[in-house]
Amino acid sequence: MLELKDLHFSIEEEDEQGQQVVTEIIKGIDFTFEKGKFYAITGPNGGGKTTLSKLIMGINPVTSGKIIFEGKDITDLSITDRAKMGIAYGFQHPARFKGMTFRDLLAIAAGTNDKETLVRILARVGICTIEFLDKEVGSKLSGGEIKKIELATIIALNPKLAIFDEPDTGIDLWTIGPMVELLKKQQEEHGTTTIVVSHNEKFLEAADELILIRGGKIAHVGGFEESLPLLKDDEFCSWKSICEGGTLCSIQ
Amino acid sequence: MLDTIDKELLKAVADLESIPKGAYNIRKNGKLLAREVTANIDIVTNEENNGIEIHIKPGTVNESVHIPVILSQADLYDVVYNKFVIGEGSDVVIVAGCGIHCGTDKPEGHAGVHEFFVGKNARVRYVEKHYATGPGTGKRTLSPTTRVFLEEGAVAEMELTQLGGVDQAMRVNEATLGPGSSLIISEKVMTDGDQKAESKNIIVLDGTDSSAELISRSVIKGNSRQNFYATLEARAKCYGHLECDAIVMDNGTNETVPALKSLHPEAELTHEAAIGKIANDQLLKLMSMGMTYDEAVNKIIQGFLK
Ligand SMILES: Nc1ncnc2c1ncn2[C@@H]1O[C@H](COP(=O)(O)OP(=O)(O)OP(=O)(O)O)[C@@H](O)[C@H]1O
Ligand SMILES: [Mg+2]
Repeated sequence: MLELKDLHFSIEEEDEQGQQVVTEIIKGIDFTFEKGKFYAITGPNGGGKTTLSKLIMGINPVTSGKIIFEGKDITDLSITDRAKMGIAYGFQHPARFKGMTFRDLLAIAAGTNDKETLVRILARVGICTIEFLDKEVGSKLSGGEIKKIELATIIALNPKLAIFDEPDTGIDLWTIGPMVELLKKQQEEHGTTTIVVSHNEKFLEAADELILIRGGKIAHVGGFEESLPLLKDDEFCSWKSICEGGTLCSIQ
Repeated sequence: MLDTIDKELLKAVADLESIPKGAYNIRKNGKLLAREVTANIDIVTNEENNGIEIHIKPGTVNESVHIPVILSQADLYDVVYNKFVIGEGSDVVIVAGCGIHCGTDKPEGHAGVHEFFVGKNARVRYVEKHYATGPGTGKRTLSPTTRVFLEEGAVAEMELTQLGGVDQAMRVNEATLGPGSSLIISEKVMTDGDQKAESKNIIVLDGTDSSAELISRSVIKGNSRQNFYATLEARAKCYGHLECDAIVMDNGTNETVPALKSLHPEAELTHEAAIGKIANDQLLKLMSMGMTYDEAVNKIIQGFLK
């Protein structure tokens, strides 16, 4: 349902000498996501997971390559158009709004202000309480609270393709299990093609397929069990790459 | 008695569909149009004959007063002096506001000095909206001055709003707080085109355990300009907070100067001030939920000024 064809993304930056330099962040990704499946994307910090997710949502412009969604080329479509086609992205660092409440955001996502509908969505989401509704989505929310709200807006959108960027950061241990179940339930009941970016074993385990992204490329695709040794190794490597410049890190 | 323009203005500034319930005083083009008093709320024209005095009896609760001013006469600059005496232990809502309809190229304006004497343990909520409209090109000016005196334990909440059409506004808010009293002022101003708005605030925390909060939200569109000055002066053990936020769009300009003065070692004063464009992450979030860019901008501003 979603095809990424030789996807590249580069940014132009000024270096210390004031020279324009081009840095490639996504370095050629080819992958086909199948309808109704549950994918986990993982990999070291700075590997390109968020950048890739934002390319799919249209937040980052594609430098070269193509994105095909349900048979249509959406490479040049706006964020708004992609959202209307049924793509949704839950931000790793959700925006905070002065003067907007959770109810306001949820109403936009659900397309209605109707109180009963909103309460029903909340009940379905399960991880945030009704009292949340009138909270301002402002600077006073805790890190975990804002992540729950972000996730709830994606559930309320009921998209065809849902991308959750590290939904578990800041979430307490008691909520991660229910969160995994919620996303699984969405996948099963609504046929939502689900992509979860995460470092959390619970999400990786729940996925039908696991995609390891490192250095702007897909380094590995597979099931949880078979990928486990690689992931453990990878964790080790990503630390090394921070400390020692990444030279020790390569996959045999 | 009310024509269509009057009704439109009353709706905009006082949320009134018709003549309100309870006490009211409607002033049109510098003259009294209608007045109603109740057993607890008296309204009289002042001695100088240039405004009204509103006396609220001690212990009056759950009552409201509407005192809208509407203008639709070219070349008129209407100035009023209104005084509110709010009796001990009462709890009331006062809805004021000024609507200007400008039909010609002649200027129209209104200046109002509103003085509030809020008695011991009394509570007042004051809602004031300013709005100007009409096909005319005449300059529309609004210059309100608000002076508030809070006695021991008094509470005042003031919502001051100017959401469009006013070419020039010079606002002054002054307050003196007695012991244990508390004041919340929230000011919301949106300007566009070549409009100018200035707000000067001086709040003196005079009594022990008094508290004041001043929240200002500005949206500055087109080539408009808004300046915001605020001083919190603490003369006792007290708490005060200033918060000024401005969203600048197009070529709008803004100057925000918050000042804190402490004359007492146990005063606690804080401020936050921010000027900037609409945050990109907010726009991205709303667009990724299916809104267009323009819809997202409107939604964010609506929330910000709510
Ligand atoms: N707009 C940008 N400007 C400059 N560098 C960028 C930009 N966007 C991404 N990068 C860089 O691209 C790399 C990939 O970033 P990305 O956020 O996609 O990583 P990630 O895999 O999501 O990491 P994490 O696990 O920490 O969330 C990083 O080195 C980051 O600094
Ligand atoms: Mg990331």
